[in-house]
Amino acid sequence: MTAPVIAAGGGRAALRRNFWRGVWRVLKRKPSRMLGMVIVLGFAFMGAFGPMFYPDPLPRDTAALYAPPSWEHPFGTDFEGTDVLSLLVTGSRYVLLTALVTAVITVVLGAAIGLFAGFRRGRWDSVLMRITDMKLTIPGLPLLLVLSTIWKFTSAFEMGLVLGLLGWGGVARAVRSQTLSLRERGFIEAARGLGLSTTHIVGRELLPSMAPFIAMNMLIAVTGAVYAQVGLFFLGVLPFEANNWGVMLNLAVFGGGAMSSPAALPYLMAPLLAILLLTLGIVLVVDAMDEIFNPRLREE
Amino acid sequence: MFARRLAGHLARGLVMILVVTTVSFFVIRSVPGDPMAARYEKLVEQGMSPVAAQRAVEVLYGFAPTGGLWQQYVDYMSGLLRLDLGQSLMVPGVGVSTVLFSAAKWTVLPVLAGTLLSFLVGVVMGVYAAIRRSGRLGDVLAISGSLLHGVPQYVLALLLGAVFTTLIPILPTSGTADIMFEPGFNAGYIGSLIEYATLPVLTYALASYGGWILAMKSSVVTVLGDDFILAAELRGIKRGIVFRYVTRNAILPLFTILALSLGMLFGGAIFIERIFNYPGLGLMLIDGINNRDYALMGGAFLLITAAIVVANIVADLFYTVIDPRVRSGEGSI
Amino acid sequence: MSVTPEKKAPGVRVSGLSVVYRTPTGELPAISGIDLDLVPGTITGVVGESGSGKSTLALSLLNAVQSPGRISAGSVEIDGLGDVVKLRGEELRKARGRHIGYVFQAAQNSLNPLKTVGKQLLDLGRSHDVADLRGLVREAKDLLGRMGMDGARVLDSHQHELSGGMRQRVGIMFALVLNAHLVVLDEPTTALDMITQATILRIVREVHEERGLTTLVITHDLGVVAEVADRLAVMYGGQVVEQGPTMEVLGAPRHPYTQGLLRAIPRLVGDIDEARALPGRPPTLGTIPERGCVFRDRCVLRMDVCETEKPPVVSLGASIALCHAVEAAADRDGRADIPPAGGLQEVVGAQGATGVHEVRGEQP
Repeated sequence: MTAPVIAAGGGRAALRRNFWRGVWRVLKRKPSRMLGMVIVLGFAFMGAFGPMFYPDPLPRDTAALYAPPSWEHPFGTDFEGTDVLSLLVTGSRYVLLTALVTAVITVVLGAAIGLFAGFRRGRWDSVLMRITDMKLTIPGLPLLLVLSTIWKFTSAFEMGLVLGLLGWGGVARAVRSQTLSLRERGFIEAARGLGLSTTHIVGRELLPSMAPFIAMNMLIAVTGAVYAQVGLFFLGVLPFEANNWGVMLNLAVFGGGAMSSPAALPYLMAPLLAILLLTLGIVLVVDAMDEIFNPRLREE
Repeated sequence: MFARRLAGHLARGLVMILVVTTVSFFVIRSVPGDPMAARYEKLVEQGMSPVAAQRAVEVLYGFAPTGGLWQQYVDYMSGLLRLDLGQSLMVPGVGVSTVLFSAAKWTVLPVLAGTLLSFLVGVVMGVYAAIRRSGRLGDVLAISGSLLHGVPQYVLALLLGAVFTTLIPILPTSGTADIMFEPGFNAGYIGSLIEYATLPVLTYALASYGGWILAMKSSVVTVLGDDFILAAELRGIKRGIVFRYVTRNAILPLFTILALSLGMLFGGAIFIERIFNYPGLGLMLIDGINNRDYALMGGAFLLITAAIVVANIVADLFYTVIDPRVRSGEGSI
Repeated sequence: MSVTPEKKAPGVRVSGLSVVYRTPTGELPAISGIDLDLVPGTITGVVGESGSGKSTLALSLLNAVQSPGRISAGSVEIDGLGDVVKLRGEELRKARGRHIGYVFQAAQNSLNPLKTVGKQLLDLGRSHDVADLRGLVREAKDLLGRMGMDGARVLDSHQHELSGGMRQRVGIMFALVLNAHLVVLDEPTTALDMITQATILRIVREVHEERGLTTLVITHDLGVVAEVADRLAVMYGGQVVEQGPTMEVLGAPRHPYTQGLLRAIPRLVGDIDEARALPGRPPTLGTIPERGCVFRDRCVLRMDVCETEKPPVVSLGASIALCHAVEAAADRDGRADIPPAGGLQEVVGAQGATGVHEVRGEQP
């Protein structure tokens, strides 16, 4: 990671080319990682364009309530006879949009606070880290539930904002320790010695060397956000305003009795499978990224 | 050293509890529709004298509906010092603290049982995954660990529920024991307790298992690369003894994760208790929210946080006892 | 068991030893075709820059080359043990520790941080089926005492309670306590301060003579070698390029690399500018030339033949060098010493700095 300091101009371009070649090699070595990429891209596509393929409101087939899976309804229908697959696809936009907003806020806040603390050290560092520690230990979900009684964060952006504001602790801590370790290796002092400004050191040297790490955290934040919001809707403490995977789970379990009658099972399984598939995709991609950026972890 | 660490933890725990109670105080205060004022007016309408009505509301929420914000805050906090969390609306005449303390055991015991189970299995599998890290089984273990670690607890709970209560209905879905049995120390009741606790405990265990396997794997890999392991091999130390060197050193950092893991499980108890209708703190929190029983809600939130604080302290003390470097005060970990 | 003074210092014959490392681009040689004899009862020093393969050589003596490396050819014959390269499993484990003692670099943590030294000593005893554990502890205390430490207290300490110099002495104790007569010290004084360094070297020398050991010292520091070693092997690019009695090699270096090394040492007396660093960089695993001489890229005496032909083994007096130029000079002068470019004056200066003065007496 000291290379970027020396490499300039053409060097950078060459590095980038080598980098993409490395990415390709790592992806190719384990086909499961390709699968991960495909899954993640597939979900992104579904969230962005999926809802366009369905009419609003979704058609209901009142003759087939809780219909079993068939060609027409791959995951059956819900209590009103709506196709579960269409619910899943139209619901994905809210879920993924929230997740994206959350991830961006988490990563930007976390990276900024972590960098600041690690770069400044001293009193700022200890104050910020105390706050971070506390945020990490205060149970997030109960806090969300309590807050939900006074603030109905139902729009995707509001929800993302709340989750992001509650979720930056882990990233901040990790980025801080990365900054400190770069510091320990004399990275910052060396850059100072070369007469580089603080903005340059942070913007051009520290951030790029941490970018892959931050990107990985962003993916992990996406999964965290998906779980948290789907969970909140599932618990039923928020008003059901938008179509959402969590709402589907709630209606399947507490309305359809999926914990005792098999009729509502497909309705329950559809969002669960979606969550599992998304998790699988992200785990595989993170695994690939891990190997690209930490050659040390490469197994013998 | 030991005492100083403990004091530090207690101080931090107190600050956390202060923050949490302050949050719940302000939430109760600013709930739309002001439930306290509404209740007060209702009581007065019913013919209660204003003073008596005020007293009644104060008993319910822990602070008087009239008076300045600061005065209310001080009232609420001093009530907490006396472990007075107000009165529950749902269970009239019973203090919230009584309700919650009887609920706490349904959260704490299953969480601990699940943690212990997953810790034991996860550590063993983690060691195996580290030693066989280039083999197929090691790969499978590591990937399954990542997946389980990534999947949210409610998904696990719902999947387990779907399999064991809907598809193959062999386990009960709700409650802590069959009402047929007289609670007490008898085989029938205890057997029933275990039967009803199986799904919650299994969920807690599966939810944290992935974390243990991953942490132990990477820890073992790190220790295997340490110089003292090579040194021991070059001294001709028996394999069994070297293995013990590796595992003991590798398990140490896991105690720092133990605190995080317990925190996650106590937080996740909300889902698991809701899904299996298990009357622990999480279910109380939800019930409090859904029934606008704010004293119950605040109390449950407080107790969940307190459980996490205690878990943190216990995990750290464990660590202190095991690592000689920390014990003698040299390590800065 | 305890002490069996009858046990004699073993001789070691390394012949044709090659170690390769498996990498994504194929197997690369770390050391290739090394021949080296450790004469019973002597201290042999191996010097080289980092990456020259000296640590790999040291580990090969215990057949302990770490994955992804492996010994691909050659043998290491140790008196009383046979060919170590052929030893496997329990046989190999029992040879380590009991017959061959290995001392790690002091800066490395060679002790289990969670156990006291004493408990690790007992682990060692149990691993080697020592019946009299009390005797073992007594022996350890005795050794530690002789190295100037409070034995009982050290045995009761954890690693983090010991300083670097103390750890190093504990490491030496572990290597000797089972009465091994072949001792390998890997960078024994690196990262220690000058005074501790001198103490450790004195201890190595004393214990070596007292117990009648065969000792191998791996180092990058010529001063260390000059101080303790009877014989010296210079490694470069995975090969021993020059070896012989220490005084001879340092006093009249033949190989251009040895000469360069000596020239690079700054002297206490005289102009600091006279110290000249060797130009270029040592080869790494991937850049060792497959054919010809490994040193040619940095060599001042380079010839065309160095590109293609493996350097010949040239014996001059008691020492051996692998070099085309040395051979050519020997042929030209009718086996006379080539006037070393390093110059005797410089060598004497270099040794003055490291405290060996006897060389003066040997000057012609």
